[in-house]
Amino acid sequence: MPGSLLVVIAYILLAVFLVVFVYRTYSIAKLPVHLRWELAPIPHEKGKSHYGGSYFEEFEWWTKPREKSLVNEATYMFQEILFLKSLWEHNRKLWWFSFPFHFGMYVLIAAGGLLVIGTVLSLLGVTDSALAGLGVVVGPVAAVGFVLGGIGAIGLLFKRMTDARLKAFTTPMGLFNLVLLLAVFATGIYSFLALDGFADNVSEFVGAVFTANTALATSGVLATHLVLALVFMAYLPFTQMMHFMAKYFTYHQVRWNDTPLQVGGKMEQEVQKLLQQPMTWSAPHINADGKKNWVDIATAEVGK
Amino acid sequence: MSATIRVEDIGKRKGEVLSPIGVEDLEPLPPPYDKIEEQPVWKELSDDVKGRTVWTLDGISALSLPQPTNEAEEKEYVDKFLAGLKKLLESENNWTFLQPLTLSLEYCVRCQTCNDACPTFTESGGKDIYRPTYRSEVWRRLVNKYVKPGGKIFSKFSDGDIDLNWTTISRLYELCYRCTMCRRCAQSCPIGVDNGLITHELRKLFSQELGWAPRELHEKGTVQHLQVGSSTGMNTEVVKDNIEFIDEDMQDVTGMDATTPWDEQDADMLLIHNAGEILAWPENPGAFAIILNAAGVKWTLASDEVAYDGVNYGLFYDDIQLARIALKHTATAKKLNVNKIVMGECGHQHKAMMTISDRILTGDMVVHKESAMTLLEEIVFSGKIKFDPSKNDFPVTMHDPCNIVRNLGIVEPQRRILRYLCPQFREMTPHGIDNYCCGGGSGFAVMSPNNFADWRISLGGRKKFRQILDAFADQPGPEVKKYVCAPCSNCKGQIRDTLNYYGALEKSGITYGGLVELIVNAMVDVKQPFIEWEMH
Ligand code: HEM
Ligand code: SF4
Ligand code: SF4
Repeated sequence: MPGSLLVVIAYILLAVFLVVFVYRTYSIAKLPVHLRWELAPIPHEKGKSHYGGSYFEEFEWWTKPREKSLVNEATYMFQEILFLKSLWEHNRKLWWFSFPFHFGMYVLIAAGGLLVIGTVLSLLGVTDSALAGLGVVVGPVAAVGFVLGGIGAIGLLFKRMTDARLKAFTTPMGLFNLVLLLAVFATGIYSFLALDGFADNVSEFVGAVFTANTALATSGVLATHLVLALVFMAYLPFTQMMHFMAKYFTYHQVRWNDTPLQVGGKMEQEVQKLLQQPMTWSAPHINADGKKNWVDIATAEVGK
Repeated sequence: MSATIRVEDIGKRKGEVLSPIGVEDLEPLPPPYDKIEEQPVWKELSDDVKGRTVWTLDGISALSLPQPTNEAEEKEYVDKFLAGLKKLLESENNWTFLQPLTLSLEYCVRCQTCNDACPTFTESGGKDIYRPTYRSEVWRRLVNKYVKPGGKIFSKFSDGDIDLNWTTISRLYELCYRCTMCRRCAQSCPIGVDNGLITHELRKLFSQELGWAPRELHEKGTVQHLQVGSSTGMNTEVVKDNIEFIDEDMQDVTGMDATTPWDEQDADMLLIHNAGEILAWPENPGAFAIILNAAGVKWTLASDEVAYDGVNYGLFYDDIQLARIALKHTATAKKLNVNKIVMGECGHQHKAMMTISDRILTGDMVVHKESAMTLLEEIVFSGKIKFDPSKNDFPVTMHDPCNIVRNLGIVEPQRRILRYLCPQFREMTPHGIDNYCCGGGSGFAVMSPNNFADWRISLGGRKKFRQILDAFADQPGPEVKKYVCAPCSNCKGQIRDTLNYYGALEKSGITYGGLVELIVNAMVDVKQPFIEWEMH
């Protein structure tokens, strides 16, 4: 593949990734404040989170200072993200594959990050021996990621096609996602094995992307891998694979959001605006006409 | 195991029962409840009910939904359902839950981790339709196919197929009343998807758009509550008469001051009971009065319509009805100028008042709200009342009401009381925030139409019954009297029905009651035992 084409493809796919990723995250973040729907355990409850207690356990809780432990929250999330703790606890059969699968991806993200940093630094003219060392480790680290991810993906595919419980709920897209990732991992490990200096080659490509260098020459194997990886990135934000982003909101904004309404606070202002919206639910007991807002409808004397 | 029921099957085989269920399908109970032939036979639906109503989900009719008489009527409902499906995802119609719902719509990874957390699914012997994900996936597919742009083309690939028709929506309506919204599944989900919330939202769709809701929760529930003053049907006079009678009776039995103050302006606390207590378990409000008076608290009940009944069934199916009732409760507290509202022993009242309505009551509608659990802990350990724990020297276990414990995180206060006052207190496994629902959650405890009582007790309450038996396994015989403490009216109703169903008082010596009864029973000044070993 001509280097110019590869670089152009990279720009397009990375742009799609960025735009859709940001858009989707923003569209969740900007949804209106919701009613409280917390769920124990809430790790920020200091001294109580180990058994799932909350500030409601305090006599006249509103007279006590609220003690929050953000460290507990962070620890909880760290274990969830890195080790998939709830999967370990509640669905171990899947964890044996899901963990290497996810961990492989994390390793790859880390390797990719290091590689980009290294490339940028050397473009800036930094020539340090540590940088050279980085180039040496990134390749094998990525290889570990490919292998772990590949084992996980094969296992998950197998599970999803054989386990009756999973099979009934597995969608064509779910299988496609796994196959696509497997292809990324497989071409990755193949490139690593087939090429002299895998990391240097990828670094060259990254450099070309940063400098718009269209004179890049990339071998067919590596180009296939890079295009597949980029396609995956561009495709990811359209799918439920964005669940890692969602998890931030389902935990911090829903399960752990136990902030009470404060008179005069920002939340109160937002709620007051939301209550002014007209509603159109059409069951007779609601008595909505498309003009009456939430306050009108909730305060109407009904059925007397 | 029976053949897999797939998600798309919900709209197929019109008129047939999709997934029949009977007592023989369920996980066996331990002895002496292990013989199916000795268990109550499930009620058969009459031909009349079968002809008139929808029962094609699992052979159960919880909702007596009438069968439409022609296709035009069916289509009308299907169209309305579709309109409601859209409204659930609009800010102006559903800002109240839009963010959590959108997250649960779009990010389930279909890993089925939640399945084993669900007591209904596991006790059913693994019936597909009771998976936490089954109902959710039906909804997800419907939204993705019929609401999302391009859905008719893409959703087969992204989600799998489904048909929107009368069969689908009528079975889905019943299926919304096979989940107690206990949210145990949500706790186990690695993504944070909430199948209990999806049940809640679907019930809202049916109620707020189609006007479909269980009679016990709507006509006899919130509507009666707003019109007459209480979901029990008691108006102000009746409730005052009943309380007066209870006060006198309690005074006679215990020799303690059980007077109830009414409508005391500027009282420290307005106590709101689930009014069901007053009719079904008068000793509960009686015990509250004895404790509060003995501790010298400045308290009051309110005689305003609605405000003497802490029930808010809107929580289970309808945001608007919920808000209407919450506003009435608040208005009375404001009028009386109390320092705080205290929730009686009622779980869903706790959740409706302390969290769900917290953010809709703005400005001068803000009132402090507290759980009876924390108030009672404060009183019991204040030294104002003398206790003799040996009076409670019998095996006691505790049921954790989902709404108080899993949802609100009020876990320890009630335990500290029991550990202090009940020498033979023992926990169920699991307990606290990992507890199992009693099976009466989300309104089920008051619903027994057609053959639904068999379903909700035999299947819905099965896990809890098993847990209760396990907790007392060291002294299983009827000669040792044992007490299940359930500090929630709805849970008590369900546990009562379960124990009666199996004759557990006669066979195992197990009865049940609230928390305040145990507190009063241990009071030194109460001469006679307060707890009666009978079923009521
Ligand atoms: C935040 C922490 C995360 C958790 C708790 C989590 C959890 C899960 C679970 C439970 C599954 C389903 C089981 C399975 O098929 O393995 C899954 C699948 C998957 N996850 Fe994650 N995940 C997380 C982060 C990520 C990240 C960062 C990515 C990378 C982009 C990712 C990509 C995937 C993919 C591709 C699948 C399977 C494909 C599919 O089912 O569509 N996950 N994840
Ligand atoms: S709800 Fe959660 S646990 Fe259940 S299948 Fe979906 S992602 Fe998995
Ligand atoms: S909320 Fe409870 S009853 Fe409903 S699906 Fe989840 S675990 Fe089962």
